[in-house]
Amino acid sequence: MAAAGGEAAAGGALWAEVRALLPGAEEALTLALSGEVEECVPPLLRRARALLYGAGGPPRGRAATALRRLGDVLRDYSWEKLNAAPWRDVGKAWRQVYAYGCLFGALAEAAGGGPLAPAVRLCDMGLLMGASVLDNVLARLVRVLQAHLPRGQPRAAPAGSAQRVRVDPPPTPVIQPEDAVPHLHCPSLEHFRDNYLIPQKPVVLEGIIDHWPCMTKWSVDYFCQVAGCRTVPVELGSRYTDEEWSQKLMTVNDFISQYIVNENSVGYLAQHQLFDQKVWGHFLQIPSTPATSPLPWLDKQIPELKQDISIPDYCCLGEGEEDDITINAWFGPEGTISPLHQDPQQNFLAQVFGRKYIRLYSPQDSENLYPHESHILHNTSQVDVEDPDLIKFPNFRNAASQSCILMPGQVLFIPVKYWHYVRSLDISFSVSFWWS
Amino acid sequence: MAAPRRSWLVFGFSAEEAAGGPEPGPGPRRLDSGPEGIRRVWPAWSYVVLETGAGALEVRGGGGGAGRRLPAGCTEALPSETHVLLRRAAAAEAWPRAAALRGELRGAPAWRRALPPAPGPGPAPPPLPLVPGGFAAPRPPFFAPLPPALRARRLALGHEHVLVLGAAGETYAWGGGRHGQLGHGVLEPEPEPRLVEALAGVPMRELAAGGWHSASVSEAGDLYVWGWNESGQLALPSKALAEERAQAKEAGAGDAELTPRQEQPGAEGAEFISIQAFPALLDFPQDLEVSRVSCGSRHTAAVTRGGDLYTWGWGKYGQLGHGDNASSDQQRRVDYLAAEGLRAEDVVCGPWTTYMCVLEQ
Repeated sequence: MAAAGGEAAAGGALWAEVRALLPGAEEALTLALSGEVEECVPPLLRRARALLYGAGGPPRGRAATALRRLGDVLRDYSWEKLNAAPWRDVGKAWRQVYAYGCLFGALAEAAGGGPLAPAVRLCDMGLLMGASVLDNVLARLVRVLQAHLPRGQPRAAPAGSAQRVRVDPPPTPVIQPEDAVPHLHCPSLEHFRDNYLIPQKPVVLEGIIDHWPCMTKWSVDYFCQVAGCRTVPVELGSRYTDEEWSQKLMTVNDFISQYIVNENSVGYLAQHQLFDQKVWGHFLQIPSTPATSPLPWLDKQIPELKQDISIPDYCCLGEGEEDDITINAWFGPEGTISPLHQDPQQNFLAQVFGRKYIRLYSPQDSENLYPHESHILHNTSQVDVEDPDLIKFPNFRNAASQSCILMPGQVLFIPVKYWHYVRSLDISFSVSFWWS
Repeated sequence: MAAPRRSWLVFGFSAEEAAGGPEPGPGPRRLDSGPEGIRRVWPAWSYVVLETGAGALEVRGGGGGAGRRLPAGCTEALPSETHVLLRRAAAAEAWPRAAALRGELRGAPAWRRALPPAPGPGPAPPPLPLVPGGFAAPRPPFFAPLPPALRARRLALGHEHVLVLGAAGETYAWGGGRHGQLGHGVLEPEPEPRLVEALAGVPMRELAAGGWHSASVSEAGDLYVWGWNESGQLALPSKALAEERAQAKEAGAGDAELTPRQEQPGAEGAEFISIQAFPALLDFPQDLEVSRVSCGSRHTAAVTRGGDLYTWGWGKYGQLGHGDNASSDQQRRVDYLAAEGLRAEDVVCGPWTTYMCVLEQ
């Protein structure tokens, strides 16, 4: 679309759409915050608003420069507040100031008529770390911007690179029948409740997600198309207990080209709300335990993808509302490991593509699993379950396990606090549903 | 021959910009010394409190135009974006920022603690935020007691942590520790003052707290740093900065062809440091000895005994004084001073600024 017209005309059309997301009159953009901030901040917000409305058209020249700078100042100042306390103690008002900083910065970029990627990135930063302002204007703005970006190209990777033969393919584990997690085809709600949920026993469910559009639509190329330009938090390192493990923000395109197609490094688009774009407070905090902590989330980042999945019916057996269900995306290359850990909620792990090897231990075996002593990792075992150090962890041999290789279309029920270890055997995409 | 002229320069974010003015240029700005000169500065983010040569306190910035004098008897300040802590003749007080910006302290302060009468001529009391019995902060809850056994000489406040220099030069740290800023080797919070054991036996003379990092100078002039290295504020190799440099290089090459990104190691064989949970001794070129150190929110500045100023860390607002907006994970000498024949005597960082006291040689 944008490429069809002259640049100025296209820029004008974009600005008209962007402008329509904001209130018509300057005073109608109230800059209201849900809480106190320091008194040096509101004048900066008002000055940015005046620059935005002062020109009549898109801010240009000095006004655009000043608006971009104010966006920077607001973002940098509130970023320090976001990091100056544990995430749960950061006031919502400061996260709103952060969102305004992103908004003003993105508007300055959009008005400038240059490439839109920086504006999209600013929106995503605001969606990830900020709190909703102006009826979630950042989500609405990013939708408009995305429509003006050239549609994502299927990635131009060397042919067959994803199927490259590995030098040292890790073995696919052999599961003894007596250790296998039972499989069930479409059990009734009552049967699942009485035989698995109430007694808290893991089970692999089959036939319950076959109708989800994701099963046919999703692929690495499809993600590049619908979300390639979007910035998401990524975990780097093969397991989060590694020293080198880190989290960073990058675009889906960069993640795929650097970590999915290129097998030199291991990255993991984990614990992320591609669907439910909820704030991932934890990626601010070092070290973090993404697989073990309930996190504050909100809003929507990539709704196209959410339309392709549903919430398993069995979640209605829980006590929480549907809104309380936390949906996470787990997208990564072969060989990604989630060390043995437990989560504080019931979990349905739905496998969309690729296979995952999963080992399960009952919470009653906790004392044989040697959880880390530190407060931060106390939900994570010190034992490498596929290569246990039985001299250091002798009781581990007393722990009884069950295993499965989760195949596309299968859903694993992991009861609350049940210990689980996960290793991807292929490029893998899973969706987890945490419910209570 | 006349005594060398002493003046104050400032790099970085300006109080004028915080009040809605234009962004300052890259060069240093000279603080107007007035007829009395400037003895000390205490910067907040959007304004600064100065002590004139005549001992009066003056508030500048915050959108108020010219400087405003605080009432006589105010001898020391610690400003923040919510309150200003003031040492007055008989009490330490916290006043709302707005009152200080007007220069008018009317009604009751937000917090007050009576000070014992001065015991006559003698050593000055330890500087704010230390007050008898504990320490104050320019925000609620304003006061916390300290164990008397600490015999604190200096105290520095980070965003979440507290550092104390004891009478024998020992270092204590407590508060939030998520970024390694306590120097105890762990990332856990520490509720009570705790000796930084890694520095035991290294008596310290100076101590500074940034937002999430810490620095101290030993009696021998060695500089130690610990905490968060997110912007290179520890002068240790930062992965984020290395990646920024690589990207800038890529962009600068102007090559439209996409090349696979190479892993960029930092210095030869060096590992990137995000968090330094134990104090690290920082090497200076030619074994220079450090005399003063100060930390901004995410940057650090040190003055050497030879009168040079070195800065490193976050530079987006020009606070490093190198004439650009680059961050640096290595100590860099501020060449402006030498070029102008100026000798650095002291340095005081605001959150995003660097104030330095210079002598014209």
